[in-house]
Amino acid sequence: MDSEPRLSQETNNIYWFTLQSRISEGKAVKAFQFLRGSGFEPILIKGFAAARFYPEKWRRQYSDVDLCVEPSAFERAKKLAESPEGRRYNIDLHNGLRRLDPVPWEDLMQNSELVEIEDSTVRILRPEDHLRVLCTHWLTDGGAYRERLWDIFYLIEKRPEAFDWKRGLDAAGPRRRRWVVCCLGLARKYLGLNIKDTPVAEEAGNLPVWLTRAVEKEWQSQIRLKPLYTCLNDWRVFSQQIRKRIPPNPIQATVEMEGDFDESSRLKYQWGSVLSRIPPSVFRLGSAFRENFEKKNV
Amino acid sequence: MINSQNPVARREGLVIQEMPEEVLVYDTNTNKAHCLNQTAAFIWKACDGSNSVKDISKLVGDEFGGAVSDDFVWLAIDQFNKDNLLQEKVETKFEGFSRREVIRKIGLAAVVALPVVASLAVPNTVLAVGTCVRVQCCAPSTTGGATCPAGSPPSTCPSPCVCPATGNPTLCT
Repeated sequence: MDSEPRLSQETNNIYWFTLQSRISEGKAVKAFQFLRGSGFEPILIKGFAAARFYPEKWRRQYSDVDLCVEPSAFERAKKLAESPEGRRYNIDLHNGLRRLDPVPWEDLMQNSELVEIEDSTVRILRPEDHLRVLCTHWLTDGGAYRERLWDIFYLIEKRPEAFDWKRGLDAAGPRRRRWVVCCLGLARKYLGLNIKDTPVAEEAGNLPVWLTRAVEKEWQSQIRLKPLYTCLNDWRVFSQQIRKRIPPNPIQATVEMEGDFDESSRLKYQWGSVLSRIPPSVFRLGSAFRENFEKKNV
Repeated sequence: MINSQNPVARREGLVIQEMPEEVLVYDTNTNKAHCLNQTAAFIWKACDGSNSVKDISKLVGDEFGGAVSDDFVWLAIDQFNKDNLLQEKVETKFEGFSRREVIRKIGLAAVVALPVVASLAVPNTVLAVGTCVRVQCCAPSTTGGATCPAGSPPSTCPSPCVCPATGNPTLCT
């Protein structure tokens, strides 16, 4: 009886992740207070903004705080985020929404929402805008993260009554509309999302074959893409990562090249992606090699 | 009025999460987490520096509808000491008994649940966000040939497999 009291493993895990969610929320609040203290008003994406739609917030874990700031303020805010205090809040600072969404910053900001956490507020995108961001982000990762498809699933399942489908689908143009529709289609196909009563019910059923093939291939793979420059110290991992890139993930390549999600061959996007990646990759690898070399000599 | 002899619950450096019947506490200094059951949580909250152990035992009795001894409160304080949940450690006074004997003695007589502080362990599995709860998969498939009951963790799910509800090929990991 005097031995250390123990909880069941399931309860232990739920409690542990509940606390982690609370800690992450606290970091988000502090990150906002920190940036606001210097006159910046960021918008939080992913993380908490996605978790709030989950029936149990603890199921959506996140470690960093993704904050977007107005592009003109980015460099100044970056200095702050990289300061010793800023680093405490795990801020992943974004220069506007950049490739994640082409809707002008002012529009996104005007439509954003303040939500309360711990007697404070954080600013998030309205659900319609966040849907586009989540979909584009998920596709940018090549659809590799099955668990993140739940972000899209729950956003739609728990969407507010006044959800503006027109804004969510069309605000970023017809190409990105198709990206979103395909993500919803995938969430229906693999997670059972009910989209019967939505304007995309029919369209989302028509998924390109290459898309589902690519998603299933990624989910079966044990290897996730990592930046090459982070693998320089392990040649086995490095060569694994090179092999992983041949051929390039068609989803990632299409999104990177701002391509259409139609039935046509992905080759042009895959080639385009390879060619556009070579110069920055060579540069990054060169810098990483140099850094490694200098470290060893020191 | 705060009396330096009275226990004071620590607040600094702790993340506190109220649950329906328990209180979870994460110590950011040690990265350790604890779960206080209802009784322990009540006593911990009553440790405000103005309540003596005797006061707290009376408060517990009033709250839970059954008289408890001072030892009952000391038992909680002993655990708070161990887990660093007090501003300053308070010397426990079990009046000649060992902690084990006190637990036995109180445990037999107590109407109120004993105060318990359980430590949380870091889960050794990744979060099972993608469990098969949703699609209730999977039936034996042509490729996988294994089954995956609803709610099973991703690590046990075969892939690829077929979801019988929709007939769609699906993956559980």
